[in-house]
Amino acid sequence: MNSRETFTDLAIRAALMVAVYVVFAAMLPSYHTVRGAAALLDGGVLIGLTALGIGITMIAGEFDLSVGSLAAVIGVLTVNLIIAGMSIIPAIAIAVAVACAFGALQGFVIAVTGINSLVFTIGTLIGLRGFAMIISNENSVTIPIPRLGETDFLAQRVFGLLSPLSILLFAVFFVTHLFLRYTVWGREIFATGGGRAEARAAGVSIIRPMVISFALSGTLAGLAGAVSSVRLGSATPLGFDTLLLSAVTACLIGGIALEGGKGTVLGILIGLFTMRFLVGGVASLGAPYWLQSLAIGALLIFVLIVQLSSTLIRDRATGSALLELAPP
Amino acid sequence: MIAGLLGRLAPAGGPATEAQAPARRRLAFLFMGIGIVALLVIGGLTTPSFLTLENLLVVIRAASITGIIAIGMSYITISGNLFALSAEELAILAACVFAFLMRDDYGLAVSLIATLIFAAGSGAIQGGVISLGGDPIITTLAFGALFRGIASLVSDNKNILLGTKAAEWLGTGRPLGVPTQSWAFVILTLVAWFVLQRTRFGRQLLLIGANRPAARASGLRVGQASIVAMTLFGVCCGMAGISAAAQFGLAVANLFSGLTIDVVAAVLVGGIPLKGGQGSPVQAALGAVFIALLQNFMLLHSFTTGWRMFVIGSLVALATIGFHLLQKRQA
Repeated sequence: MNSRETFTDLAIRAALMVAVYVVFAAMLPSYHTVRGAAALLDGGVLIGLTALGIGITMIAGEFDLSVGSLAAVIGVLTVNLIIAGMSIIPAIAIAVAVACAFGALQGFVIAVTGINSLVFTIGTLIGLRGFAMIISNENSVTIPIPRLGETDFLAQRVFGLLSPLSILLFAVFFVTHLFLRYTVWGREIFATGGGRAEARAAGVSIIRPMVISFALSGTLAGLAGAVSSVRLGSATPLGFDTLLLSAVTACLIGGIALEGGKGTVLGILIGLFTMRFLVGGVASLGAPYWLQSLAIGALLIFVLIVQLSSTLIRDRATGSALLELAPP
Repeated sequence: MIAGLLGRLAPAGGPATEAQAPARRRLAFLFMGIGIVALLVIGGLTTPSFLTLENLLVVIRAASITGIIAIGMSYITISGNLFALSAEELAILAACVFAFLMRDDYGLAVSLIATLIFAAGSGAIQGGVISLGGDPIITTLAFGALFRGIASLVSDNKNILLGTKAAEWLGTGRPLGVPTQSWAFVILTLVAWFVLQRTRFGRQLLLIGANRPAARASGLRVGQASIVAMTLFGVCCGMAGISAAAQFGLAVANLFSGLTIDVVAAVLVGGIPLKGGQGSPVQAALGAVFIALLQNFMLLHSFTTGWRMFVIGSLVALATIGFHLLQKRQA
């Protein structure tokens, strides 16, 4: 895809995002207020960070199913560290470092053995969830009430709109964009996803991009789990179970290709807010929580079908699908 | 019927994939056999209540629900489509449909058949999206969320009582001393094994899983095979849903917690190769028995839920790596 096509593609996706916003803004007065917009931004932090991590592994042609469980482990770990007497920022930093190390290890095992990452991460998805329950004694863990004041800084707002967490979200997206676009290591991730055999032939090692992309997806899922647990003041070992679904949906709406090698960080951001506007809107209209998962599931199916049919139509136009469609 | 249709469309010439990996399969059976026997012996020696008839019936019933779906799942894996992550959700939705039909006095036969048709259709739709080129994991993840959402919506997140005892024997009956679910499990295993090994459809499924371009070039309907595999999987989920609804006399949206994971674990621990085209439903069935025994053993030793999940997860990760390396060495 050349830069012009990328631009057109992103413009179409951005137009869809604006359209969703306009539809709900017509029904919901809260969408017009700064406070409502701030709530929409804050609600996107958890899913946004995770979606960015998953997006990177998808660009590398792999998939990390374990993000939800990892976020739960890191959330519990962060709160446990705070309970043990550590102050907020160091606790988050240490817990996220653990997530990074786990992700890197996972990427290393997958790269060295050549195992299918979808399948391997199903194992870690189950195991990590169990681990979250073990380190929390199967209960919610809570930051002690006298120390809740230390987390107040997260509720500040710049211009009434940006909280420290939404600033963090944008900063992380910006840095990741620079990394993927302008560094050799970032380009390697695209190369392994786009054509692994060609990348190998051109002398790109598979191990480094795999370790980096899984380390990033672990770090970002961990960061998401840590900051949202601190923001809430508590973490539950069973939490974040629908995180994967939302994050995948954001990536697919944002144009990350499942076959790897394609996608932009800006696209993930657009996908994230398209989904936020829709789900936030459904929730504000008074739907119970389980309807949100219904809405995300339906949205994901819709996106899948649209993308599959557009691929089919394009292939048919170029004739490459003729062989497939020919009767026996 | 669809199997017959597929059979007639196909040109002659069976796949040769079967002969390629008998050693690996024998090894997988050997591992499973040793694992199950070891668990029985260790469990029997260390846990007084483990080898009692009462407990084994509990294990068999638990293994049957997991096993019935694992057999459906094995067809998906063998057809080269990895897994379906919507097992739990589809079973829940089927249980709700069955409970609604029973409550509204449609009678057992009608409710049974209608629920199974519904479940088959729900499987087929997912298969349709996959046959268009959709990634099986993501497609079934999305449909799972949809199914659970619909189940919560129609049940209003409350219990749906069957209100009749007409279906109770389906869930709690023990013809000849064996639970009905286990009869279904054993019969289904044999039928699934027979279909895969001895019918044209089965061998086509193996070829499609082993080598998609070759199957396509020889005129097999690759997309249709995915749809059939997903439909059969849907029927299996429907059977699990019906049996649970009948057993408890109600359906609710949080039934079957953790079932999908157990099923995937059964297929993986059973050693069915993930690249497709190899393996047998019997492996999935043995995997389900092993997982159920292990869960029961841990339960009797009062492992907490967290530890049980941790053990199963580690087992899955290790089994995946182990079988993968084994396969690499043989290739």
